[in-house]
Amino acid sequence: MGQKELKVAFLLALRSLQRGSRSSTILTILIIGMCFTNMIFLPSMFSGIGQGITKQLVDYETSNVLITPKSGDQYITDLDATLDLINGMPGVQRASPQYSKGAIFKYRQRVLGVSVRAISPMDEKEVSPVYTKMVAGSYLGEGDTGEIIIGKPMAGDATVRQEDEFQPSLGGIRVGDSITVEYGNGYTKDYRVKGIYYTGWSPVDNAAFVTWTDMEQVEGKSLDKADYITVKAKPGYTEQFIKNELLSYGVGGNGKVQTMTDLLSKSVGKVLQSFAIINMVSLIVSVIITTVVLFIVITIKTLNSRKQIGILKAIGVDKAVIMHNYGFQVIILGILGIILGIIITLVLAVYMSVHPIVTPEWSAYLYITPWDLLINSVILFCAAVVAGYVPAYQVSREDIQTAMRA
Amino acid sequence: MIEITDLRKIYRMGNVEVRALDGVTLDIEKGEFLGIMGPSGSGKTTLLHMLGLLDIPTSGKIVIDGMDLSHLSDYEKTMFRLYKYGYVFQDYALVPDLTVMENVSLPAMLRKDRTEEQCRKDSFEILQKIGLCDRRDHLPRELSGGQQQRVSLARAMVNKPDILFADEPCANLDTENSRVVLDLFREINEGMQQTIVMVSHEDWHKEYFHRIIRLRDGKIISDGTNGAKSH
Repeated sequence: MGQKELKVAFLLALRSLQRGSRSSTILTILIIGMCFTNMIFLPSMFSGIGQGITKQLVDYETSNVLITPKSGDQYITDLDATLDLINGMPGVQRASPQYSKGAIFKYRQRVLGVSVRAISPMDEKEVSPVYTKMVAGSYLGEGDTGEIIIGKPMAGDATVRQEDEFQPSLGGIRVGDSITVEYGNGYTKDYRVKGIYYTGWSPVDNAAFVTWTDMEQVEGKSLDKADYITVKAKPGYTEQFIKNELLSYGVGGNGKVQTMTDLLSKSVGKVLQSFAIINMVSLIVSVIITTVVLFIVITIKTLNSRKQIGILKAIGVDKAVIMHNYGFQVIILGILGIILGIIITLVLAVYMSVHPIVTPEWSAYLYITPWDLLINSVILFCAAVVAGYVPAYQVSREDIQTAMRA
Repeated sequence: MIEITDLRKIYRMGNVEVRALDGVTLDIEKGEFLGIMGPSGSGKTTLLHMLGLLDIPTSGKIVIDGMDLSHLSDYEKTMFRLYKYGYVFQDYALVPDLTVMENVSLPAMLRKDRTEEQCRKDSFEILQKIGLCDRRDHLPRELSGGQQQRVSLARAMVNKPDILFADEPCANLDTENSRVVLDLFREINEGMQQTIVMVSHEDWHKEYFHRIIRLRDGKIISDGTNGAKSH
């Protein structure tokens, strides 16, 4: 098969698409485009959910490395010394401890059980972006006392009746309002709401934050212990490096050190595995649909052109040229369909980055990488080529007399 | 030029044996305008298809310029048809999605011994010869039946074939258009010394042929100039 033959096959293919049934061509491209979109949409959505959950976990729960109490212990003890040690290590941007205590919030007629988290605002700002998520008021300052910041779902909306609420709230508390907090140890204090935040990550949005100093008042003593410490790595340092450093400095003796990846494999690993199965099913179904559609389209084309094919063979056109003619048609349709699919997918990705899917637990957008686009394009292209060449090969081998009599 | 010896084509339809060609022996000289005539089912088209390498004989031999065609492979037959033969079919058989120029150029484009420039030049020349140069960018559906058949003739002639086969080329044309097409065949035959083998069942076409063979039941029943010479 020489260059001339390929050129003729390409010309025949191009002209057939240009001057043949335009509606059939457009519909075929549309179907391929939709199949491509279907192939990539669901996996990208799941990837987006996975990425979203991962990001939110890192941002609001674990940071890069999480240090939790050793098995059997309730708290990480000797906190000040441990923090000094960690903050002095290479690669560590900041370590931030958290200490939680259960409390009852009372505001007008509303009563709500909440976990109050004590933080060191300056440290927390370095490891968590909650301070960027303020929807009203401002974030806690280092020396604040008697002030609290709470999540928006917990603050509630004064315009929504209590029985219509999605989740229990304080019924529309605002910045500056006073709230009574009764801790589990019997300590009661009125706090001024300094700020209201909304992160989209349910456990944080349903919590409240006070300063470490405030919590020390609650406990009635200096707090040299924490529920956990989150450690943020400096840019360029891996989580594993930080973990190894922490262990080598002996922090492992005071708490359990886990990277975000360690935690993810335990927490969302199973979810991501389930997503992978659904993705595979979606991919296979899309590939089968595309293959069948293109097979039918090219089969109908060849059946309608059997006489034409017989004539072409009669005037000396080699069967390979005829086969590649249909092959090129399917390649062109496949490429155009994939381009359309990529455009649709990218438009959806842009739309969803502006309007992500938001649930009370997490928010998600389409997470698409160039590699995803490339792999799916190659898979769909191969399926299209197989679907086109099989009927083309069959018809090109038909005897001239049989074809001409069709 | 063409030597046909004891050519037979037998079709089996269930238990019935149909002898479409029953021992045809024939020589065709270069430059001849040969008409194959006879009633329906006499074997005219079958003989043309055998000569044109479009079908395989049950037995017998076809030799062209000393080459026994029965030994050619599928690909060699395709190349033989491309380089040596030209065909005109009764229903024009043009590619509907190609323009007149593209239809005519198609066989030339596949030849390894032609450059693109030559293809264009040859196609242009032959279209000028048949008087359709001004319609070269039109699609077949935009032409009349007579014009389409002239394009089909141009496509058959673009490669300057050794032999031009025509299978009832005027079957779908009225008398006036038939005469235009047949006049072109004559012009090509006389002007270019083109060997032409044409199947026809119209008696008035006889005047165009140098020699006429008549078939009946797969056998030649007469062979001679305008039927003058009996076989």
